[in-house]
Amino acid sequence: MTNQTISIAIFFVLGVGFWMIALAVSYLARPSKPTKFKETSYECGIEPSGSAWYQVHVRYYIYALLFVLFDVEVAFLYPWAVIFRRIDGGQMLLFSELAIFVLILVFGLVYAWRKGALEWE
Amino acid sequence: MTWADLPALYPMLIPAATAVLLLLTLTVRRDARLAAGVAMAGFIAGLLALAASAAELSHPVTMLLTVDRFAVVFWGILLFAGLLVSVFAVGYFRTLREPREEFYLLWLLAVVGAMVMAASAHFAAFFLGLELLSVSLYVLIAYPRMQSRAVEAGVKYLILAGASSAFVLFGMALTYAATGTLTFAELFTHLTLFPGDVLLLGGVVMILVGVGFKLALVPFHFWTPDVYEGAPLPVTAAVATVSKGAAFALLTRLLLGVIQAQPGHSTLAVIFTLLALASMIVGNLLALAQGNLKRLLAYSSIANMGYALTAFIAGGDAARVAIPYFFAGYIVAVLAAFGVMTQLSTPEHELQEVEDYRGLAWRYPWSAALLTVALLSLAGIPLTAGFLGKFFVLTAGMAAGRWTLVVTLVLTSGLGLYYYLRVITALYQAPLEGEQPTPPPLHLPHRLSVLTGLALAVLAALLLLLGVYPSPVLHLLAWP
Repeated sequence: MTNQTISIAIFFVLGVGFWMIALAVSYLARPSKPTKFKETSYECGIEPSGSAWYQVHVRYYIYALLFVLFDVEVAFLYPWAVIFRRIDGGQMLLFSELAIFVLILVFGLVYAWRKGALEWE
Repeated sequence: MTWADLPALYPMLIPAATAVLLLLTLTVRRDARLAAGVAMAGFIAGLLALAASAAELSHPVTMLLTVDRFAVVFWGILLFAGLLVSVFAVGYFRTLREPREEFYLLWLLAVVGAMVMAASAHFAAFFLGLELLSVSLYVLIAYPRMQSRAVEAGVKYLILAGASSAFVLFGMALTYAATGTLTFAELFTHLTLFPGDVLLLGGVVMILVGVGFKLALVPFHFWTPDVYEGAPLPVTAAVATVSKGAAFALLTRLLLGVIQAQPGHSTLAVIFTLLALASMIVGNLLALAQGNLKRLLAYSSIANMGYALTAFIAGGDAARVAIPYFFAGYIVAVLAAFGVMTQLSTPEHELQEVEDYRGLAWRYPWSAALLTVALLSLAGIPLTAGFLGKFFVLTAGMAAGRWTLVVTLVLTSGLGLYYYLRVITALYQAPLEGEQPTPPPLHLPHRLSVLTGLALAVLAALLLLLGVYPSPVLHLLAWP
């Protein structure tokens, strides 16, 4: 048994043990007095209406997809902006690299637009 | 990265740029033939640009990619497979009522992802390539989205590939925790210095599990037959060639390095010996029972990856020739087999059962002949590419004294011969009298397009050339 084997074993035991103990403690410690109101599902304090398992219109996925696309773009823009000043020389290369990246995303938007993804009929 | 590094990457950048160009083309004009033409032009331009990369070999481009002879050879194989699959797709998808154009867009991206994997020298590049390839494949497999079997196969692949990506990522995290580096080269030095590092070994094994999934080695093979069967035929060909090619190239980079770093019978070598033995035995045994040609080829591919793994484990100079040669032969044979199947099928009616091919030789003698040669090559009969590939693998295995693997390879190949011959005899049997199979097989007497015919002829020529005249390819493969 090397040191590392032991540390991995400890990591594993802690990882599994943590949730088991947490669940067990809360199970043992909590009082259990169920009433009808307590068992209704919680929905922002508003009285729940209908089942939570209703179908979302498939159209929403396009918005979700486009959102992720531009969300990631911004996530990349920030670190780029932070290091842009710090790197000496090669600013033109850095700029053109990001310009290509944004341009490709714009092409993607043009494609989605032309395909009618932004129209709600 | 400087401007001077760019030419080495042209073979990869050109198909990537073609994908963007195709995206723009689709906003202006939707035309399946135009889209296919643009994609094929991209692949051909990429193949031509290989000459520029080949001029500057063993060239690390940033810390992420290495463009060496090995990468260039695999890029060539991947681009070639990319071109042929798009040629096959044109004829196959002609009856599909849904948009056909996006197929070529996704396919370009998938091949670029595979090329990134083949040239990666860093875990970041490896993972980017892996995801680009996988995400494109999810959609490609479920491309005829009105067919439940394709969608089912797509979802299966999505879930299992997602799980295997998670393994790869966790393995990378463990490796990084152990070594503090993400480059392959430093990983190997670390393995040589600390052969008993448990964290590092755990990480490497988890990464190789992910690669094993892509290659469908035996304990990770369960998705293969279902996905092969459900996916539309050109995509099945893509999964069997480009996706495996990328994983194959990556495994060569990682595993040869890892096994060299730990010579002798290290833990990793033992694990991979077991995987290879299981793949050869299980793949061949299960293929015996298949009545569906797509499933049969799926199990045959599992067995073939087991053969290839023999050379990986053997290592040494012989393996460095055997591995690419074996793979080139495998890819040509698989493309030929799926090419013949593709041109006899449409998305709505695929010829999948071995029974559907009964008497093919009497209607389409050339197609039957090519399918025969392709199957014989997969079986490893002399005068075909598959024989020499297997021969080199065996030589490498014997040189390294891996006798268990060598003997299993020979025995299971004999077993494999049976199911290949079963298909071949069906091809040449007379069609059954009075019995009209429903739906009538080969009901599409469409004229073969010039391109498809040319592609099939090239494959036939390559199958035989690689089998009888290996020296030009061997010259090309000589390791730097």
